[in-house]
Amino acid sequence: MRDDPTVVALVTRAAGSDQGAWDEIVDRYAPLVWSICTGFRLSNHDIEDVAQNVWLLLVGQLGTLREPAALPGWLATTTRRECLRVVTLSRKSERLGTELDEAAQFVADTVVDEEILVAERNAALRAAFAELPPRCQQLLSMLLRDPPCSYGTISATLDIPIGSIGPQRARCLERMRKSSALLGLIEVGVNFPGGDPGA
Amino acid sequence: MRDGWDDEQLLGALREAMRAREAVPSWFVEMGKNAYAWHNIDAELAQLTYDSQADTEQLAFVRSETASIRALTFTSAHLSIELEVGQDSLLGQVIPPQAGMLETYTKAGQATSPVDESGYFAVEPTPPNPFRLRFHTSGGADVVTGWITL
Repeated sequence: MRDDPTVVALVTRAAGSDQGAWDEIVDRYAPLVWSICTGFRLSNHDIEDVAQNVWLLLVGQLGTLREPAALPGWLATTTRRECLRVVTLSRKSERLGTELDEAAQFVADTVVDEEILVAERNAALRAAFAELPPRCQQLLSMLLRDPPCSYGTISATLDIPIGSIGPQRARCLERMRKSSALLGLIEVGVNFPGGDPGA
Repeated sequence: MRDGWDDEQLLGALREAMRAREAVPSWFVEMGKNAYAWHNIDAELAQLTYDSQADTEQLAFVRSETASIRALTFTSAHLSIELEVGQDSLLGQVIPPQAGMLETYTKAGQATSPVDESGYFAVEPTPPNPFRLRFHTSGGADVVTGWITL
């Protein structure tokens, strides 16, 4: 697990009485909690129950988290445990045996490490994007659309010549690559999605 | 990353990161942010460990007359709160039985009900969804449920 100074600082500030720091923690890691819940195929009602408990448990432990840098791992483990609790509760009423519970436990164990890594990478990428100047954010947002905006549309909307879109895109991405949020990620060798170029 | 991300890979990764964020409903994020209101409230969390409705749904085809009273149990490490949800009131008991105060939190505010020595309490009328219950005693017990949506 990488030692992310941003996360440590956020946890420390939130343990004081900084609602802004707490909001940022939630913004960063809500996708992680959400993806684990949906991985368990919970109903929205159960997801609400799980997430309420996860965030409340975290609020209660902000001052006593032993390793603030390991927050994503703590969140993933706690979410998984809460999901299993909800699943077990509903299975009990369906009168199913323990085999399914064991299967759920197995699936959860194997999936969770990968999810933590992806969530950390995604949080770092979003943080790096948020640090970009507005022009870069606008340009990259248009390129990220599905389907991407044509260079003609980008040129008209952002009022830049078509010929300079490519170089600007490269500069923005280079800037992102050098941001503190992403440098920490690149140092520990987190792979990009879709495969490992070294493999 | 041994060789660093090239532009396409970085853009692809950023696209995935944005999609993951967009997949999360705003109510989910709001709920997480609102949880901070409970910062510095030193109560132990009691979790839902029994819900009669889960049974009722399963048995509905057997029993045409389903019970109108819904029973819920919330359990913490030190005590349980048992609830019976009626149309007009919420009746409950703290186990093991002990006197104290029960606070009902709703989005609109909070109300207090006494808990007698046998652990019994009544909340009238039944609070609107969602609500939380917090039980505390002069002896230092302090337990709170998650948000309850009936």
